[in-house]
Amino acid sequence: MDVAIDVRNLKKSFNSTEVFRDFSISVDQGKITAIFGPNGSGKSTLLNILSGIVTKDGGSFHIDNFSHFEFSYIFQNYRESLLPWRTNFENVALPLEIQSKSKVEIRRRIEELQTIFELKIDWDRYPYELSGGQQQILAFIRALATKPKVLFIDEPFSALDYENNLRLRERLQKYYLAFKPTILLITHNIEEAVHLAEKIAVFSQRPTKVLETFDNPLLYPRTIQSLKSPEFDQVKDRVLSLFQRAANL
Amino acid sequence: MKRYTIIGPILLILLWAAIAQLQLIDKFFLPDPFTTVARLVELISEGAILDDIIATLGRVLLAFLISLAVGLPLGLLLGRAEKVYRSIEFIIDFFRSTPATALFPLFLLVFGVTDKSKIAVAAFASMLIIIFNTAYGVMHAKKSRVLAAQIMGATKAQIFRWILFWESLPQTFIGLRSAISLSLVIIVVTEMFIGTNSGLGRRIIDSQIIYEIPTMYAAILLTGIIGYLLNLLFLIVEKRFLHWSGKN
Repeated sequence: MDVAIDVRNLKKSFNSTEVFRDFSISVDQGKITAIFGPNGSGKSTLLNILSGIVTKDGGSFHIDNFSHFEFSYIFQNYRESLLPWRTNFENVALPLEIQSKSKVEIRRRIEELQTIFELKIDWDRYPYELSGGQQQILAFIRALATKPKVLFIDEPFSALDYENNLRLRERLQKYYLAFKPTILLITHNIEEAVHLAEKIAVFSQRPTKVLETFDNPLLYPRTIQSLKSPEFDQVKDRVLSLFQRAANL
Repeated sequence: MKRYTIIGPILLILLWAAIAQLQLIDKFFLPDPFTTVARLVELISEGAILDDIIATLGRVLLAFLISLAVGLPLGLLLGRAEKVYRSIEFIIDFFRSTPATALFPLFLLVFGVTDKSKIAVAAFASMLIIIFNTAYGVMHAKKSRVLAAQIMGATKAQIFRWILFWESLPQTFIGLRSAISLSLVIIVVTEMFIGTNSGLGRRIIDSQIIYEIPTMYAAILLTGIIGYLLNLLFLIVEKRFLHWSGKN
């Protein structure tokens, strides 16, 4: 399997807090990798370093064929990254406008994603008129409109109620199976991790190491039925046991 | 506008009428509201005060447009280069804190006893307010939005045009509204003290000097109404145009 992201001996401290010391991880191409770990284990910091928002103190990392035009990052505070002066349509069009795509192309891409995500909203109105769940889906469509090869998602479902959470997971999965980008997914929810990810990396406490990375053998597409299967529970138990060790519970 | 906003003006008129009726202040120095409004209607129908309104409004608008044309681009540029703004912040704050009226003599020396000096001093003071507010609007843009655009691969110019400019607008509008009010204040004051033949300020001071007290009050009232309407106009434009202001 090809490696899409390779991190070697990463070092990062904030003031006197050492988050990473000789941290290494490699992420497979075209898979969903979930990162699961205790609070403060530097999950978001890792994504921020990889996307160039935060500088590293040492070590190295490589993202295969990295280009901002083929990379997307869905922040935890997605609401604050939507632009209230732009209509819903114009918000989703922003990354494509940045890439100087034609109007026809923009419309085509957005319609395609609208179908996958089943978002029924008035596209000529504004994001502040939408519900939290709809805003979240809008942020997803905006991030995916460019068909990124690499996608970072930080806690995407934490603000949603369970029903919408399940729906969004199902649609994200649908998108993933259609376009197969490399996805790094941070989550605090074991069920989300096991539901979506093909690989699960469990982080330790600071200074952070990868305790273990293992394959999740459940077959895609994973439905609500899969959530109820004994295999699902087996994987979940394994993550929980590791997490217990990681967080000293 | 809510129905209860009318309470304020009614209270003011009632209070004024009561003070006049009870003769708490000599009637010669404070005519009752009806006499004043009657005088105002008279002045307007005579037409003489229309020239004053046009003269004052013309100067105010010219001063405002100059301050806008210079202040808005400067504010946007300075807001983008925060270090540059910080290094000249003292100059802006110093002149912002200096009463513009204290600068009249200076402007008189430079521009002479003309309309130019009135407009220049009003434009100067208004410009500082516009620069200050616009620059702060840009500097206080939500980091998360700028970051999102950076990650999408936006150029600096795109980020400025699509994010920072829009982010600054609500604060910029506060600046514009303050600037037009300040322009009116300064223009009216300069009309009183820098020789001129027209303008509401001159009308007020002339009526006071020759003890045409109802005319003085009528002109003050008119000036107040104009100031209020200018403010209201900006609020309406703001509400229309900046529909997202205060929402997220």
